[in-house]
Parts: sequence; C-alpha cells; structure tokens
Amino acid sequence: MNRNRILFGIGVLAFISVIVTVRLGGFLVDNEYRQPDRQVAAQEEQGEAELTPRQQGIVDEQAADEAEARARPYEEAEYRAVPFVGSRVTVWVLAQLHLLFAAFVLAVPLFAFIIEFVGYVKKEERYNKLAYEFTKLLSVSFSMTATFGAFLTFGLIILYPKFTNYLMHIFSPTFLPYVLLFFLEALFLYSYYYGWGKFGPKMHLFLGFMLNIVGTAIMFIANAWLTFMMSPGRRDDVDGDGVPDFVSAVSESGALLSLRDAFFNFTWMPINIHRIIANVAFGGSIAAAYAAFRYLQAKTDEEKAHFDWMGYVGNFVAIIAFLPLPFAGYYLAAEIYAFSQTLGIQMMGGTFSWLFVIQAALIGNLFLGANYYLWLGMGRMEGGVHFQKFIKWLLIAIALCFAVWATPRYAISSVSEIAAMGGSSHPQLSYLGQMSAKNTAVNILILSTYMSFLLYRRTGRQSVHPHRQLLTRAQAIVFSSAAALVIFYGVYGYFVDSATRIRFAIPQVYSVLAALVVITVIDLPLYRNATQSGETKWGKIPAVSQYALIFIALSFTWLMGLMGYVRSGLRQEWHVYGVVLDTSPDAYTPTLGFATQVVSVTVLIFFGLLGVVFWLSSLGGKKDWEPKTVADGGDRLEGGQAA
Amino acid sequence: MKLSVPMPVRLVLLVVGTTAFYMYLGQIVPQREAHPPPPVLISAEMTTEDLVAVGAELASGKGQCLVGCHTVGQSGPLRYPDLDGIGARAATQIEGLSGLEYLAQSLYEPAAFIVPGFADGMQPIDQPPISLSEDEMKAVIAWLQSLGGTPTVTLDTELGY
Repeated sequence: MNRNRILFGIGVLAFISVIVTVRLGGFLVDNEYRQPDRQVAAQEEQGEAELTPRQQGIVDEQAADEAEARARPYEEAEYRAVPFVGSRVTVWVLAQLHLLFAAFVLAVPLFAFIIEFVGYVKKEERYNKLAYEFTKLLSVSFSMTATFGAFLTFGLIILYPKFTNYLMHIFSPTFLPYVLLFFLEALFLYSYYYGWGKFGPKMHLFLGFMLNIVGTAIMFIANAWLTFMMSPGRRDDVDGDGVPDFVSAVSESGALLSLRDAFFNFTWMPINIHRIIANVAFGGSIAAAYAAFRYLQAKTDEEKAHFDWMGYVGNFVAIIAFLPLPFAGYYLAAEIYAFSQTLGIQMMGGTFSWLFVIQAALIGNLFLGANYYLWLGMGRMEGGVHFQKFIKWLLIAIALCFAVWATPRYAISSVSEIAAMGGSSHPQLSYLGQMSAKNTAVNILILSTYMSFLLYRRTGRQSVHPHRQLLTRAQAIVFSSAAALVIFYGVYGYFVDSATRIRFAIPQVYSVLAALVVITVIDLPLYRNATQSGETKWGKIPAVSQYALIFIALSFTWLMGLMGYVRSGLRQEWHVYGVVLDTSPDAYTPTLGFATQVVSVTVLIFFGLLGVVFWLSSLGGKKDWEPKTVADGGDRLEGGQAA
Repeated sequence: MKLSVPMPVRLVLLVVGTTAFYMYLGQIVPQREAHPPPPVLISAEMTTEDLVAVGAELASGKGQCLVGCHTVGQSGPLRYPDLDGIGARAATQIEGLSGLEYLAQSLYEPAAFIVPGFADGMQPIDQPPISLSEDEMKAVIAWLQSLGGTPTVTLDTELGY
C-alpha cells in the first residue's frame, strides 16, 4: 500500500512539473518584446509593418539557410558523423549487440534440440521440460537480434554510405537468400516454441533440426560479408606447385572478379567453425546465468532443484564447448597468419599484443570460474570430501598456466626501446610468450579442467565394473601421457627452428583431444550403473555458485566483445584489407583503454537488455492476474465492479 | 547485526564490478594509438646516407619490418632471420646474385628463396597492404646494406623490378 502511495505521489509531482514547465515556457514566449498593438495596427494600415529584432533575425537566418542550400551542389557523402560518440563507436556498439543476441539465438536451439533428443531417446520428461525452459528465452531474444540488425544496417547505410555501397556491389546476390532464410528461421523458431506439446515428438524434433540448419546457414552468409573484409580472396594451388596461392576475389581497383571467391574466402570457414563453437559456449553460459537468476529468485525447494539442474546443464554445455575453443582459435589465427603474415603479426606481436594479455586474464577467469563451480557442486553429493584434496593441485596447475599464457612475447615499444632490445621482445620473459609455452599452457589448462569434471562426475559414485581398477589405471596412464607429451613438445620447441616448432602444435592438440576422447570412452562403461554412495541433492548448493555462473556468463560476453574488436581492428586503416582504404577521421586503431571502455559499455547494455529478456521469460511461469475479492481484503469485487 | 544485501543489488554489483575490473585491466596495459604511417618524403637530392636513415624509419614504421617480424642482433628461437650482418651476408646467400640483387629479390619476391630453418611467410612489400614505392624500397635496401656492410644504393640505382 505504501508503495502505491509513493507511486501516486511521484505521478502527481510529475504531472505538476509538466504543467509548471509548459506554463513557464509560455510565460517566457508571451513576455518577449513586442511592439505595442496600436503601433503595429497603424503600421499595417500604412503598409509598413516592422518586425521585432528577433523576428527579423529568424527571417534572415531562414533566408540565408535557403540560399546556401540552393547554392550547394549535390555530393555523395563518403562518411557521416555522429556527434559526441562518433560513427565508428556507434556502429561498433550496434554490431556487437546484434552479434551477442544473434549468437545466443543461434546457440540455444542447438543444445535445446540436443537435450530434447536425449529426452526422447531416454524417455525422460525432465529433459523435455528443460529444453522447453531454454527455448522460452528465444522469443524475445530473436526480436532483439532483428532490432539490432536493423539498427546496424541503417547505421552502416547512413554513416558509411560509400563503403556499404561497395559491400552491396560485392554481395548483393546474397541478400535475397539471406532474407528468405531469415523468414524461414522465424517460421521454424516460432513453430518450434509455440508447437511444444502440440506436435508429435518426431515432428517437433524435425522443426528444431530445421531451425538449426536455417540459423547456421544465415550465420554462414553473414560470415562471408565480414570475413571478406579481412581476407578478400581464397587460397588455391593455381600454378600446381603444391603450395597454395592467394586468389583475389577483386581486382586492384576493387571490382568484383568472382563472387564465389569473395564468399568462400580465406578466413570464412575458420570463422564459421570458431563461431559455432563459441556460440554454443556463450549460449550455454547465458542460459546458465538465466537458471542462476531464477534459482536466486526461487521460493520453493522444487524450484531451486529445477534451476540448479538447469544451471548445471547450461554450464556443462558451456564448458564442453569451451574446451575445444582454443583449438578453433588457434586454427583461425593460423589461417590469418597464412593469409597475411602482416595481419598475423599485428594480431599477436604488434598493436594488439597486450590485448591478448587481457584475453588471457579473461580465459583464466573462465577456467577458474568453471572449476570453482564444479568444486562447489561436489558439495551437492555425499562423499564429495574424498576428491576435494586434489583441488589445490588443480588450482596450482591452472594458476601457473594462466601466468604463462598472460606473458606477451612482444611489447608495445618506442623506437629507442626497440633499438635497445634489438627487437620488440623482452630478452628473458619473451621465452614464456612464445608459441611453445602458450600451447603448452592452454593444453594443460584444458586437461586440468577436464580432470575437475572427471572428479565431479565421480563424486558420490562407486563403479561396479569388473575391471574398474584396470580401466581407472588406463585412464590415468592416458592422462599422464598426454600431459607429458604436451610438456615434452613445449620444451623441445625451444631447441628447433621456427618451421619445426610451429608444427609441434599439432601433436600437442591431438594428444589432448585423443586423451579427452579415450578417457570419456572408458569412463562411460566404467560408471554405467555405478552405485550411489549418497543422493545428489539438487538445489543444495551454496548461493555463491549461482553468482559464479553469472560471472562466467559475464566473462564470456566480455571476451566475445574483446575478440570481436581484435578481429575487426586487425585491418587497421583498411575497410577491406588491401583493397578499400578507410579515409574517415576514425582511420586509426584506438588505445586498448578506449577499446575496453567501449566493450564494457556494450556489455553493460547487453546485460541490461538481458535482464529484460529474463524478466519477460519468467513471466510465463507466473500465475494469471485475477481481480482481488472482498474476501482477500481488496476493495473490489470479483469481476472488477466497484464495491 | 547481519547486513543483508538484496539479490538484485548483488547482481548489479557483480555485473558492474566485474565489467569495471576488466575495463581497469584495459587501462593498465600500455596504451598506444596506431595511426596509419605518415608519408615518408624522399627527395631527388637525397644521398645514400639519407636513404639509410629513411630506410631505418620505414623498417620500424610503414614497412613493418621490425614490428614482430625481423630482429637486429637477437639470437635464440626467432620468427624470421635476424638482420644483423645482412649487409655483408647478402652477397653470399645465392650463387650468382650480388648483394644488391639478393636484397631486392628478398623484398620484391620474398618466396623466391627461404633461409633454411625458417618458414615462408613474407609478402612482397611493394604490394598492398604495405605498398612501398620504388624509392622507399631503395631506402630500405640502403638500410639493410648498412647492417654490417657498406650502403651503395642511390635513387638512380636500377633494381630490375
């Protein structure tokens, strides 16, 4: 009741403020100097009415503006400016917001479909409910994606008309398929969401499958536009010497030579792969954040148990996708290097080298956050104490890897510093910044996190497999061998030439991937039908774990913003690398400090909007509004009639 | 008395605090705005010594030679060959090519000869995105010749490309 009174009071005050403002404005205008009415009437009679100085000024200004507009010849604008914020920042923020929502909208159907399929195979209704809970987030997010897509398109057309026109010259044949696919995505998305429980399971799964296919196709088209800006051509062995050559999709003047080469350009597929994996990791983390939000709001144990499980699944999806993400990142980086050493070196060794220190901090936080959540999750199960003694060792391993990964090879240096060092790298610390050390660190990080997951999986469970000791030892050997191999190649990399050292990344990656697969394959039968030493108490987890989930989602979002900046910023003063030069006042790479400010503001806007999405999605679970009755103590009768 | 912070306030603090922390990281790393390299003026009356100075400037700027690619006077695991002494070494790298011809080939056709132990990767620097002019190429060659050798290039030197 008090709240209503306060709201009423605020409303009255606002109304009075508006009235006072309008009256004050009217007073000021009315009391402007005017000639006496009699004098005006007399002058009008004589045909010599005079204007006040203010009126004369306005008339003169209008006349001058009109004359200037008539004299000015039409010129096609190359760029237009946005006051205060600037064109680049405007487009940057709009593009990033569009991308964040788009990533979420593409990712959620992917794992909702998988969870629904698992439920269908296992005949367990709880999976179906969970998939539906995830899908609830899609409807509003889809509208947000489309809205920011429209903002971005208008922003580009208005602020960068010449460059946008150039991209249209190259890619206009792809626009119609894009729009048609977008229409189909809307059709499948809404039929998938609203058709839950209305169609048979197979038909519904088909809708989910088609939603994913169409969504992925849309992303592939959009990826062609943006990757063309970085690598306007493809790689092919044109002269038959066994070495891939660069085949430009455009002429030196920028005219289109081959739409196929522009579309299937050098970095298109690496970006596709990287984005699919990153989208799933990001989508999983946002869905887990939603579950955490609902968990913290939950009033009953049943609700807490449901949202705890949902948060666990969302985080599981995020971490499973996150583990191979560094490999996809290295593949993308290697392709960027292969396309242009200049781009690659700018990325890792030039202007952006310190950005990767921030990236290392973010990824380190993500690994720590994910591990922390798993360690807290062990408390849900009886018998969790047994494994907690390993946590400190995992923590040490993760912290060490984090430190190595955060060491840059090249530092931004002045000319005199470069001369003093004989290059742009530190004589000692740069050893830790080299690819050998970084590859080793990231692979050990992945193995450590996977170990945390294995410990979590075993907590409170006892294998009944007849060869459990043998299989557990086999897992330990595979794990140790992979770790030893990674470290061996990491150290050996310092004693070989650069060409050989680069190739060492491959056995390192394969050994880790093989270890993950082999250990998982052994673990599945090993813990099938395992006995439970205690019950898993969903909902019985410290509340801080839910904040950890939100922290992970936030770090993922910030990381996406940062990496989006480096991918786009790499081109430096080029709109299309090596083809279309940026001649606007923004044709420079801003400081990292400025870039991180823009990323932070974007993340805050995104989370603000995400709060709206979460709130709207949670409305579906609330009771319908009903008018209060006299019996409830209200002052209205059922049916809304006044008492 | 136990102070209880409402959940929405905690969430806002978490979101704003974490974002502020990451933004702070961005403020404490070295800051530099990277502007497009300024045009280097090469006039017809420039001597070989002048070209060496201009070439050194180009190597650290527009030419992007010392920005993460090559080094001067470093050893150990390197990305690309160290340039110390290249002025003297150039004449002995490929049989039949003079020092000047070798250096010109290295800049115009870097894939023609790869120093053993290093990977192919350098792009012709007379082409986009670096796009050095012919006079700028001569200045870079003069600077390379000065690293352990005697520079001979003038603006009248024919490079053959």
